[in-house]
Amino acid sequence: MGMPVLALKGIDKRFGGIHALRNVDFSLEEGEVHALLGENGAGKSTLIKILTGVHHRDGGQMLLNGTDVRIENPLDARKKGIAAIYQELSLIESLTVAENIFLGHEPATSFLGTIRRSELFEASSDYLRTFGIKLDPRETVSELGMGQKRIIEIIKALSIQAKVLLLDEPTTGMSQAEIETLFEIMDDLKKKKVNMIYISHHLDEVFRVCDRATVLRDGENAGTFQVAKLDVETLVQAMLGRSLKEEFPPRKGTPSREVLLEAREFQAEGMVEPVDFHLHRGEILGITGIIGSGKSELALGLFGASRTQKGALLLEGKHVQLPSPSRAKKMGISFVPEDRKAQGLFLRLPVRHNLNVAHLEPCETLGFLSGKKMQSRALRTGRQLKVVPLDPAMPAQNLSGGNQQKVVIGKWLGNSPRIFILDEPTRGIDIGAKTEIYALVNSLADSGASVLILSSEFREMASVCDRVLVMRKGTFIAELEREGATTKKIMTLALGG
Amino acid sequence: MKPSTLQAGTSNARKWKRLLRGELGLILILAVIMVTFSILSPYFFTSRNLLNITRQVSITLIVAIGMTFVILIGEIDLSVGSIAAVVGVATAVSLKASGSLTLALLAGLGLGAAVGLVNGLLTVYGKVQSFIVTLAMLGIARGAALVWTDGKPVSRLPSAFGTLGAGYLGVVPVSTIIAAGVFVLAFLVLNKTKHGIYTRSIGANREAARLSAIAVTRYRILAFVVSGLMSALGGILITSRLLSAQPTAGEGLELNVIAAVILGGASLSGGVGTVFGTLLGAMVIGVIDNGMNLVGVSSFFQQIVKGIIILIAVLAKRSD
Repeated sequence: MGMPVLALKGIDKRFGGIHALRNVDFSLEEGEVHALLGENGAGKSTLIKILTGVHHRDGGQMLLNGTDVRIENPLDARKKGIAAIYQELSLIESLTVAENIFLGHEPATSFLGTIRRSELFEASSDYLRTFGIKLDPRETVSELGMGQKRIIEIIKALSIQAKVLLLDEPTTGMSQAEIETLFEIMDDLKKKKVNMIYISHHLDEVFRVCDRATVLRDGENAGTFQVAKLDVETLVQAMLGRSLKEEFPPRKGTPSREVLLEAREFQAEGMVEPVDFHLHRGEILGITGIIGSGKSELALGLFGASRTQKGALLLEGKHVQLPSPSRAKKMGISFVPEDRKAQGLFLRLPVRHNLNVAHLEPCETLGFLSGKKMQSRALRTGRQLKVVPLDPAMPAQNLSGGNQQKVVIGKWLGNSPRIFILDEPTRGIDIGAKTEIYALVNSLADSGASVLILSSEFREMASVCDRVLVMRKGTFIAELEREGATTKKIMTLALGG
Repeated sequence: MKPSTLQAGTSNARKWKRLLRGELGLILILAVIMVTFSILSPYFFTSRNLLNITRQVSITLIVAIGMTFVILIGEIDLSVGSIAAVVGVATAVSLKASGSLTLALLAGLGLGAAVGLVNGLLTVYGKVQSFIVTLAMLGIARGAALVWTDGKPVSRLPSAFGTLGAGYLGVVPVSTIIAAGVFVLAFLVLNKTKHGIYTRSIGANREAARLSAIAVTRYRILAFVVSGLMSALGGILITSRLLSAQPTAGEGLELNVIAAVILGGASLSGGVGTVFGTLLGAMVIGVIDNGMNLVGVSSFFQQIVKGIIILIAVLAKRSD
């Protein structure tokens, strides 16, 4: 092998107290598809963001065709031939395929500076033909399916003569047929010496299209493998690695056998299939699966935040209707959503506001709220959850991710919930805050509440939950009791490897 | 210096900065403007003129308080001036027809609330941006007032009706007292009740509000009803002051009102703002109008000056 197209050597990156990347090496050879793998929070995103100039490295070297470069910003990355395709598309829906492909670098302009549309369409047709895609460049992007859009995105990236193509979970929302087309295009690109970095949670995809795989774990290298000589077992082992240490506080209590909540053929808006399950009093039940498996849709449905389409919910054996979150709240159901910034917090409003908003009744006398009571309640909850710094007047956006998450959980504690639904409660937060949240989950369950955790962090599922349901493509494919729920087993089931 | 004292120092500085950018800054701006006019005109700083300013400001303030609810919840209401006009006509017509002041006031306020309700329903259930819904309503309500009156004012109203807009209680204008009452009520609702907390929450993050079990739909509609009601009260006061309902009354009122709310520190993206800020914003605009009239600035030039002062005030309050 010759000189790598791209070589990262000893990359280091810190965010405040968090050491996100520690001495990470990565190299991309000519004409290869190289998978970048790791659990959530392992450092993949940070590495990608350094590659595309969103973040800057604190230490280490980045060699592009042998010369040390520094990527200033995403535009600079594009200029240097690094193009990224993210889960969220960057196409402009109201423009045509051709206009999107050449957005920002139109091939020909007339002397007035206007775009020659005929040449634009011709150049696009050429591109589409090269990759064997039957699409009219005059078509408006909003008319296309997800798979076609993703392909347009790739062609757009290639039209700037990208040397390195970065694909982050490219198959999200694509049908099986579309995925196959994508892989064929990737095979074709490989022959044309386009070098690709492929990020995916789907191990089967990695085995289908990738030549090598580099695994990151806790911000460090955990091995680089030749995919042809690799099996799922080895890959999963590399991703999990270390022991569980004291990250997970021991569970003292045991769940009762009494069923608190039962879902029968339950299907809410956005769910692919109806599901059946039951939740015991005082139990910590985990529902796991990769992103897109349908967990969040189920959580929203159970909180009345999306419409129930089919089936029934039974609370203590009685049928209940959940037409709205306020109804769910009255039933004693609390919900911590997946995306704390977009769905959980009022970022610009004070911590006091955030901690009281879901449960103002105790602070009310004759319809008027007492500022003093709100303040003392915020202080009490904040202290209980160890929110640092604890300043009830401070806007929530000034807190760190972990402390923000504690505030989102804290807003429900006054509600003395019977059922606590937590969707990805520890995503993107540091180990310390995680441990505190696990301890809180334990104490909630010990006090008789039932906790439903929906998470794609398999280690967390295996270590925290009394029972784990594994979800794939909208249905439960396995039920594991605490003893049988090892991380490896859960991961293998969820990934379908 | 020890790190702890250093930290205290910077957090104090930050506190001051926050205060200056907030209401205190606006009070300073208001003070500067008032001192300037006091120097330029001997008549400006007399109790008679200051009370006069409060009367002039009262209508803007009342409508701006309604607008504060709408802007806090993350929406906008462009139809306030037109609602004021159509309500003025409705009040005058029912007063002349029935001879009952109570009935006329109820008809006017009821119409304002109803138009606000329509704005709210179309925005929330029709899923159309409130900018567009209320822009359409701006035309519809104004047109209705013009069609109803054939473009002519409804005059010769009983002089007792004039008390609301032009009367005095001792030395204090009645409309000032009404505005003060509305201010206190709005202050209590926004700061001391669930309604206020929920309105702010919905404006700050609608999805988070929904997932905090807040009845988002109800409060969003209610904000437009409050705005319609306040516009109606404004329209009634305008009609009362002139003893005549002009179908062209309140033209451009929405701009003055929105300017007052934004000057007062509210964010057009919702969640941030106070009625006290709105009061100060309305005062700044009222004082500029009054002072320039006293000093004898031409009315064409006044608009330029007002625009510039609003720009300066908003820029000065921007976070760096």
